[in-house]
Amino acid sequence: MTKVTSTISGLDETAKPGEVRKSYKQRMKDLVMEIARVEITEDRRAHYLLEMATLNAAFYLLRDSTTRDAYWTLRNEVIALEQQWREAADSGSGDADTARRMYDSKLRLFLSRYGEEAMLEAGRDKECVEASNWDPAHERHASRILRHYRQSLYQQILERLPYYEVTTPRIDWEERKRTVAAILAGKDH
Amino acid sequence: MPPSAEQQAPPKEVDFEQVIDAMAKAVYEGDIVNFRLLFSPFSPARESSTESFDMPKYAYLLPDDEMAAERRFAASRALVKHPQMMSQIKRELEANRPPQLPWELVLELADNAVRWAKYSSAAQAYELLRVRARVQREFFTRADAALDAGDVPTAVRGYIIATSLAYDYAAFPEPLPVTPDFQTRALVLHAEYPARLEDCVGLREPKALLQTALAYLLLDAEAAARLDSRSMEVRWAFLKELVLQRDPAWEDFVPRLREACVAADDLLKRLHERYSAPSFAAEMDTRADLTDEDDPRRIPALLLGYSIEDGEWWQYLKELAYRHPAAALLVARQAVGDIEVILPRYAPDSPVIQASGV
Repeated sequence: MTKVTSTISGLDETAKPGEVRKSYKQRMKDLVMEIARVEITEDRRAHYLLEMATLNAAFYLLRDSTTRDAYWTLRNEVIALEQQWREAADSGSGDADTARRMYDSKLRLFLSRYGEEAMLEAGRDKECVEASNWDPAHERHASRILRHYRQSLYQQILERLPYYEVTTPRIDWEERKRTVAAILAGKDH
Repeated sequence: MPPSAEQQAPPKEVDFEQVIDAMAKAVYEGDIVNFRLLFSPFSPARESSTESFDMPKYAYLLPDDEMAAERRFAASRALVKHPQMMSQIKRELEANRPPQLPWELVLELADNAVRWAKYSSAAQAYELLRVRARVQREFFTRADAALDAGDVPTAVRGYIIATSLAYDYAAFPEPLPVTPDFQTRALVLHAEYPARLEDCVGLREPKALLQTALAYLLLDAEAAARLDSRSMEVRWAFLKELVLQRDPAWEDFVPRLREACVAADDLLKRLHERYSAPSFAAEMDTRADLTDEDDPRRIPALLLGYSIEDGEWWQYLKELAYRHPAAALLVARQAVGDIEVILPRYAPDSPVIQASGV
């Protein structure tokens, strides 16, 4: 669903806290060394802040069985609701809008909890601070980057879902190319 | 027992010709706000709503005679009036659920919005259709092709449209179209006081100036980077055209710039003579004994065309960049005594200045 699940590579929902910790520390060490090697530009800073925040969040959530179970439960709920909505939309049932609203609200909750809040929370965790040197300055810079990340994820997910605000478009891209050319040439105004 | 509301008022009748006119007007004008309003629960187009097109406050939704005679308006009206479209619109207006806008109308609206240079509206409409990024790429591709063919004005127009269709996914609370914010970008451009002459934006070496100017005027460093592979001549020509297309009122600014240059030269010469060759920053900073004639604040006022009461350099810079975006590439901060102002500072061969003909 989000990058959080796949950040600590090779681990799944059954991973033990010790495995999570070991993998996190190794990946964070590699990341910190990589950051030290390159010249930091604005784009790179945004990229590395996001990488670091994602790693911290993954560790913060997966090392503890309560937070890990809550994460997997909510994630599975979102996936199930998406399926329900898709089926309702495909069958043209009158419940499609209700199903969509339920899915949308759950998806937004999931993304804001795990795509933004958990990442900021993790940055205040003692172990994460120790491994990543995350500080309040990082948090200040990260808030805009994380909002961008969350909203981009929402947009990416939206792309694959049934249309609901507009009827499903049937775009003829050859016609689009001609329209763009005509607009640029100022021929049709 | 008092009569119920239903007994008091007869059911509302909506003239569907007015609905067609209002929808056609929104599509023709590329106005996504009015278009969505027509489908909203309180829309005058709905029978269930108490609002009506006959109310004076909704007069703006209907076309006037002049617009009704326009060829493109007629095309939009024909699209709305198509039997299938009409039945779809009626169905959406009668349904008791969030409306599904007809994609054909939204697409036509988006195209018209681009034609009218209403880029925020166009970006929102394309985003609804989930084609914004692809349409944006199409404009870039066409613009690059125009540049290959040596058609700089069309290429610049294509780049302006493509970058204006961008979306800001970090906007709070929801993603929003990117809007020109030269007044903020100009402040970032001049955030650091230039310690040396060559640190002034307008006096940077040509390659660096080109990069800064293109990224600033296109509002997008990535779009500017697409031009990196082009020759310097092409990029200079592109920048020159970009200055003019970004600011239709550039010609009004040119005489003021000329006047400000003369006044700044005059002031600096007088200060130079009086204070035994002040260096660019250090010595002039220490001078507090300025006469009225030497008051440097009249120079930013000349540039802007009016003065701001107790105006600081950044206030002048923001106003200037808002009115004439490229002007921020021709000025630099300068402290004179305890006053800091913006003065014209640029290389004589700068394409920004060539565009102005100064």
